[in-house]
Amino acid sequence: MNTKTANQRHVGRFLVSWAAVLALVACFIAFTALKGSAFMSMSNMTNILRAMAITTVFGIAATVTMAPDGFDMSAGTLASCSAYAFVSAYLWFGLNLGLSIVVSIVTTIVMYQLTMLLILVCKIPDMLATCSLMFVHQGLGQWYIGGGAVSTGMRTSWGAQPARTQLSPAFSAIGRAPWIIIIMLACVGVAFVFLNYTKHGRFLYAMGGNKEAAKLSGINIKKYRYMAGMITAVFIAIAGILVASRGSSAQVMCCDDYLMPSLAAVFVGRTVGGAEKPNALGTLVGAGLISTLENGLTIVAVPFYVLPAVKGAVLALALVAAYATKKED
Amino acid sequence: MDKIKLETRHVSIEFPGVKALDDVTFEVETGEIRAVVGANGAGKSTLMKVLAGANPGYTGDVLLNGEVVHLRLPVDAKKLGIQIVYQEVDTALVPTLSVAENIMLNEMVMSGGNVMNWRNTRSEAKKALERLHINNIDVRTLVQNLTLAQKQMVLIARAIRMNCNFLILDEPTAPLSNTETEELFTIVRRLLKQENLAVIFISHRLDEILEICEKYTVMRNGKIICTDPVTPQTTTKEIVEKMLGRSFEENFPKEACPIGEVLFHTDHLTEAEGRITDISINVKRGEIVGIAGLVGAGKSELCKTIFGVYRKAEGDIVLDDKSLKIGNPSDAVRQRIALVPEERRKEGVLVNETVTFNLSAACLDKFCTASFVSRRKANANAREYVESLGIATPTIHQVVRNLSGGNQQKVAVGKWLAADSDLYIFDEPTKGVDVGAKQDIFRLINEIAKSGKAVIYASCENSELLSLTDRIYVMYSGRIMAELKTSETSEDEIMFYSVGGKSEKVGA
Repeated sequence: MNTKTANQRHVGRFLVSWAAVLALVACFIAFTALKGSAFMSMSNMTNILRAMAITTVFGIAATVTMAPDGFDMSAGTLASCSAYAFVSAYLWFGLNLGLSIVVSIVTTIVMYQLTMLLILVCKIPDMLATCSLMFVHQGLGQWYIGGGAVSTGMRTSWGAQPARTQLSPAFSAIGRAPWIIIIMLACVGVAFVFLNYTKHGRFLYAMGGNKEAAKLSGINIKKYRYMAGMITAVFIAIAGILVASRGSSAQVMCCDDYLMPSLAAVFVGRTVGGAEKPNALGTLVGAGLISTLENGLTIVAVPFYVLPAVKGAVLALALVAAYATKKED
Repeated sequence: MDKIKLETRHVSIEFPGVKALDDVTFEVETGEIRAVVGANGAGKSTLMKVLAGANPGYTGDVLLNGEVVHLRLPVDAKKLGIQIVYQEVDTALVPTLSVAENIMLNEMVMSGGNVMNWRNTRSEAKKALERLHINNIDVRTLVQNLTLAQKQMVLIARAIRMNCNFLILDEPTAPLSNTETEELFTIVRRLLKQENLAVIFISHRLDEILEICEKYTVMRNGKIICTDPVTPQTTTKEIVEKMLGRSFEENFPKEACPIGEVLFHTDHLTEAEGRITDISINVKRGEIVGIAGLVGAGKSELCKTIFGVYRKAEGDIVLDDKSLKIGNPSDAVRQRIALVPEERRKEGVLVNETVTFNLSAACLDKFCTASFVSRRKANANAREYVESLGIATPTIHQVVRNLSGGNQQKVAVGKWLAADSDLYIFDEPTKGVDVGAKQDIFRLINEIAKSGKAVIYASCENSELLSLTDRIYVMYSGRIMAELKTSETSEDEIMFYSVGGKSEKVGA
């Protein structure tokens, strides 16, 4: 009887480990069966990848924060600020594309010091600290852009003529296939290598698993939480840049809505491959699953306004897999 | 291999109000397995923590090969080759990382570099496990998927990876099954042959000590009583006598009151995860029944299973001739069972709420008018109990966190008095309570019994059980070992069964 239950547990664990991947495969089979080449075509696959790219990069940012058991509610609002910084540097100040990207990343990192201050120095729990910062980001960002979008043909927030009136093709290319997909995969790859093949990544996971044991093993917990925060900030900036390039402007609160889907992607990906912790590949799978569902359901003519329910259901199921199997103590 | 000697000379530690270690002089040499035994609170763990660098506030000297060493941090001890594996293995492991990483964690931190060398980490971890002759643990599995015994092995492997001459195992066998214990012993014996190592073994299970150890040290009240070799003539009884050997310091007699019919009983009660097995006990009206046993014997687990905190797998819980269905504590409360839990601050009282709220929390319905809490009724209730229980608090609106331990405990008890239950379960109610408050609590428990209720009193303070109760069940390893009539038993007898002594009368 014991071996039987052990076997069952084994099968159960296997199913939980690969649930997200199996679901993804099932989606592909189902949509292909229903719609054939309308779904299963090169151009539509590109669509799916392009649609998931931004969510995935946000998800990677969240993955790095959540590896040491951190949390960031303000990733979306901060990314909006990154986008404002990026487009304003490019249009208003006429910096070249590379410098604009650097400005955006540096701005984000600087603003993330505030997050780290609240969490590490003031010792506010991550969730609460970033929740309050959400509003700070919104207000500061919009104060900077003067309450309106940063786009071509608009004056600066202080009413001057912008230095540029046109976006270069390179600017727009960032947000289009293939570059947006390449950037997404690069982010996933970098995070994957960092979390799995550097000691720093493993220490972040050690903190996430058991902070006390990590501390007693000599890991400098604050230093590593800070490090995770800085890496997160870079990914957030990249996500903001992608959004701006994709939308050819920095609209007001353009990134705020990406937070929840990206968190969903991380949670869906948690169990992938038996990792049992936020991980880069899992996040990619999670974002892919959500994106594929949205894409396929649109093709089979489910109205777009119903789609959030599907996203929510996927997240709920992922959480069921993660928590229902947990032993109660 | 040269023998290495670790000794303490005149080591003392004082905690507020107690002398946890009193002039302890102790020595151990590599090549031996040493048992350290003693009743709860004898100072075993405190002494081990000193050796492990986790108790920096000691006075006296610790010497390694005759040289004074300073053990003020866990790292100090580790560097000197003293490794400890605590009983709570989960505190030292990272569940979401692999076995290999957990074994190598310390070294990963110590060594420089950025790159994670997976191959090396895995092979080194594997070697460490091989030194223990363990080959049924895959170093790639996550630690959270291991059994308790396997987790212990991971920690032992981590310990011997480092410079390890003294391996302290703090009650390693308490959570293990018999076969797992056997395995652990085999591993420890082998380890001793191949390495320059001493194993210091803390256990409450004396039969194990007779089996594995060469010498044993008995501690009592913070002092070393003796260190003797284990010979074929050594008996459990002999060790028990050395462990005790004190008379009762305090006496709180049970007041005579008529004992009625059986009000509560359990029938072959077994907990779903094996925390307790096959428990059949009964309590009569007006009776105080003690549950004795050492820490980890399953007393709290029994209380919590009855109360619905843990899930029962088999057996019946019967109160007043009705078989109860208890799925959670709320069911238990509704069926008139009250539990005053062991972890007072965590489970017994709402520390950030007022005395008034705490005293009405268990039966808020009584103080409500159409779902609105009536402050007047709640306050009246609080005043009544503050007075009758002698709770020392400036006002009834004081936040409970600010009260002393004893007074918090009175609040925890008082909350159930207001609820008017039939069965009262007390789990270590006198832990961390001063003598005066203790007496008040005993008086309270007596009064509950006198009013015709049933009382279960779980404690590892045998002297309390002997004076307060009518009958005592002794637990060991999650089972009832014996049922004793308090008037006819002794502390020796309780201790005998607590450490796994076998009853001659089966099914008594």
